[in-house]
Amino acid sequence: MREAFRQELKDLKAEVVSIGKVVTDRTRDAVTSLVTGDVDLAETVVAGDEEIDRRTLAVEEHSLEVIATQFPVARDLRLLHSLTYIALHLERMADLAVNIARAAKRTAGRRGPQTLYDLIQAQGNLVYRVLDATCEALETRDVELARKLQDLDEPIDHLYKQFFRELARLHDEEDIEWASSMVLASRYLERIADNAVDIGERIAYLVTGEFEALHSPDEETA
Amino acid sequence: MALRATPVPDNAPNKITVKELDFFYGDFHALTDITVDIKEKAVTAFIGPSGCGKSTFLRCFNRMNDLIPGARAEGLVSLDGQDIFETGVDPVDLRRRIGMIFQQPNPFPMSIYDNVAFGPRLQGVSKKAELDEIVQHSLERANLWKEVKDILGRGGLTLSGGQQQRLCIARVLAVEPEVMLMDEPCSAIDPTSVQKIEDLMAELKDRITIIIVTHNMQQAARVSDFTAFFLQEVAGDPAILVEYDRTSNLFTSPKDRRTEDYITGRFG
Repeated sequence: MREAFRQELKDLKAEVVSIGKVVTDRTRDAVTSLVTGDVDLAETVVAGDEEIDRRTLAVEEHSLEVIATQFPVARDLRLLHSLTYIALHLERMADLAVNIARAAKRTAGRRGPQTLYDLIQAQGNLVYRVLDATCEALETRDVELARKLQDLDEPIDHLYKQFFRELARLHDEEDIEWASSMVLASRYLERIADNAVDIGERIAYLVTGEFEALHSPDEETA
Repeated sequence: MALRATPVPDNAPNKITVKELDFFYGDFHALTDITVDIKEKAVTAFIGPSGCGKSTFLRCFNRMNDLIPGARAEGLVSLDGQDIFETGVDPVDLRRRIGMIFQQPNPFPMSIYDNVAFGPRLQGVSKKAELDEIVQHSLERANLWKEVKDILGRGGLTLSGGQQQRLCIARVLAVEPEVMLMDEPCSAIDPTSVQKIEDLMAELKDRITIIIVTHNMQQAARVSDFTAFFLQEVAGDPAILVEYDRTSNLFTSPKDRRTEDYITGRFG
């Protein structure tokens, strides 16, 4: 009985890690579709959201079922509670990736200054690094890595701010709709990384049992 | 049942203080180096595997172990600052102040009324009106009055197990104890009665301090404000107090790996 329960916990955790990896791939595809103007790739990101929604909801339902029937406590309870919380974050991150893919569809066929594409790509590369680290920290219960996510997130915020500065240099004749779509995409990337930092705090909690000071995004990016 | 709306404050006074207590049954060293403060008007649960000394420890508080030949305690147990092992302490008076409920309900073979009036009568209360009032009040506090008010003359043993246990609680309450020790009070009764007794504990702690030994960890988590985890690590060695904390902490983030392993069912 207890063995089956432990296996269920393992399976649930593996499922959340797996969802995390899918969200990482979707984010990568969304950024690629934006930078290369690949509408088909953007479509697959949008279409894939339903699967993420379904899987994260299943994690929540399954967690509740285990809580109701097995009365988990201590690290088992922290794991179940945290997995539900993490799944919710992943679901939001997937929604943000969809928003980036929608921006890709809106801007496809128009080209703006290359520096802004380069900035988005650079920001994207940093975000993938945060997402990979998040999945690894959850999979291996690595508290140090989980805590490091906040540091990894910082340059992403800087790039978002730099994006604004670059935008200010645009001339009147530039395409405003294109520009605002790109700003939003940069903002979505920054939010994806913030969600990952929150997941990192949750991973630290599930391992240590201590709620650490919660990261609060500064006002400009909130 | 009502959730713990207001947690017991950190500065709540200690009702019972235990310092460096060791306990022996003859040559057998049952408990060692137990130090713990039991908070007043709170429910404290003792948990741990069978044979870990939690009932032995509970029985120290009202010196029930005195009745066992060869049993002896070393160290300090004080009630409101008064050492209960001191020679001047009358164990009978101590047991009035610290009442006890056992696993198996044990009403006396007499009427419901006489069961509850037994203690007050021993204390010298003889006026019928006064006894009537104590009996009704105690049965009300034990949430049994409505069920028995018309059959007070009937034998206590004719009640159901759950009612018998509440009758025993009323019998203890009739002598106005300050502390109630409960040794597995719900192990032998049906789930509905368990619920009633758990609700009762939440109500009673407004006025008295409750210490409960339970094998049921969900029960400890539901009813108690503080939990103490006892463990005999090696067979034959004395048991120790591994961890003592607020129940909400102990069941979410225990500090000791042995507590974690026990409450999550990894051993024991």
